[in-house]
Amino acid sequence: MASGIAILRSGLPDGLMESQGHRLHVRGEGVEAEWRFAFRESRPLLPVWHEGVLRLVQWGNRDRRSHLPPTGWTWLATVRAGGWGPFGAELVDIPCNFAYEKGVWFRVRQGMRGILVPGPNGPCVYVICEPSTRYYRVMTRSERMPVLIDEVI
Amino acid sequence: MRIGHLDADCFYVSAERVRDPWLNRRPVGVLGNNGACVIAKSYEMKALGVRTGEPIWDAVRTCPDGIYVKRDFAWYEVLSRKILDIVRDESPVAEYYSIDEFFFQPGHGCRAESIRDRILEETGLPVTVAIARTRTLSKLFAETVKPFGAIEVTDPKHEEEILSKLPVTEVAGIAGRRAAKLHPYGVRTCLDFVRMPRSVVKSLLTVVGEQLWWELQGRNVLALQTQKPPTQAVSRGGGFTATSDPTVVFAWAVRHLERLIEEFDFHQVRAGKLTLWLEYRDAATGLGEARLDSPSDRFDLLLEATREALRQAWKPGWGARKMDLIASNLHGPGPIQRTLFESPDPRQDALTVLKRGINAEVGRFALRSGATLPLAELYRDPASGYEICDVKGKICF
Repeated sequence: MASGIAILRSGLPDGLMESQGHRLHVRGEGVEAEWRFAFRESRPLLPVWHEGVLRLVQWGNRDRRSHLPPTGWTWLATVRAGGWGPFGAELVDIPCNFAYEKGVWFRVRQGMRGILVPGPNGPCVYVICEPSTRYYRVMTRSERMPVLIDEVI
Repeated sequence: MRIGHLDADCFYVSAERVRDPWLNRRPVGVLGNNGACVIAKSYEMKALGVRTGEPIWDAVRTCPDGIYVKRDFAWYEVLSRKILDIVRDESPVAEYYSIDEFFFQPGHGCRAESIRDRILEETGLPVTVAIARTRTLSKLFAETVKPFGAIEVTDPKHEEEILSKLPVTEVAGIAGRRAAKLHPYGVRTCLDFVRMPRSVVKSLLTVVGEQLWWELQGRNVLALQTQKPPTQAVSRGGGFTATSDPTVVFAWAVRHLERLIEEFDFHQVRAGKLTLWLEYRDAATGLGEARLDSPSDRFDLLLEATREALRQAWKPGWGARKMDLIASNLHGPGPIQRTLFESPDPRQDALTVLKRGINAEVGRFALRSGATLPLAELYRDPASGYEICDVKGKICF
């Protein structure tokens, strides 16, 4: 899976980020700074494209009292089987330039697929996963990989 | 005569940056076939201490902010051929040495700087170009101005000045054992080597060393090869996760065989002998050979030969991790002498045509031997279907 993502500063409007207390990270001299989002943060967020609007929403659910699964990821097979139908889920794109898993940052060309679900405290997004390809598993030592937009690692 | 050498700067990384410019100036590593090792790195990643060939789990400790990218040889070939087109446009004589290295005879008015700038403008790739009196000198001088350098050295005095500063091991072809042979003679720099008597060079390094010596004197003895010379042997192989399961190892052998047969089609040859080389976990090796009754490109006959070679190379329970399958005794498309006991097999011939046709139409390996089923996961990854050795026409691997 991917436990974090990064998107170039120019990929998100500054106004969207101002209220979130996020810090910009710089990966090398003279390069454009990046916004980073990690599931381990106390209030994890992800950018999503929804109905033509780029917005920040809560990443998954950590409230065990909620009716939503207490995780930040879901299987592609579950989505295909209609498991999220009763929750009113919608498919969304999660834009990013890089993603992170078990210490490894890897390039993402467009972004990842997710589902947006209405929750008690506003919508939340789950990253869609599938079993890792051999390549991804060797690279990250993870058995799950994110479903990327028009790309397989 | 002048010879030019053009070398793309950290080519795989630069190729990725052409399509994803946000990777520019960031530490980037390109991973190899299995996703386990860094096969190319940006200058930024190199500066942080990551080495080529380093496993990713070590590289992420050295460079935690590095960005790792899956290799894409099909894309690298597109850019490599763009460079080749430009080089051929600039020069009547061009050698496609490797995916990222080219030699050429500069045409009238062709300058190192102008060809470098043209390639950057038309492909987006930074390259280094050197022009000198011989190919060995141009390759050597290119290394002194990387990255994105351009240099022209044809004056012997200027050559000497540079050669005096370069260790002899910088010469392509002089490393390790050859350098050790030169060491007792006080040869440290390229200029020391140039000043050795030719007879001593020949006695120490044979004709190969002598050729380099002539080249460094400014005399052309290594001609540019505009066409790949006829193939003497073809091989396919590579590393894999160590296994002692004979079914998996046989699957790898069959995969390599099917790739070899594609090469036979390309080169229009048939093989008379197959050699299978296996490396095991503790670096032990096994070797097997099988000769065919007469040269063939038929899958069923070569499969039996592969099985026999593997049987000889196999050490039960040892854990194989690397394999090479080498076809030799190659014969061209002309008539061959068959043995008295061979009979034509039109059914197998028809199957070969059918398999080739389906794979050409639907995709490489769409129809393949069932023996490769243990590697189904590998075949699911389209990037595994195209490797560096599949880029045709290069002189060097």
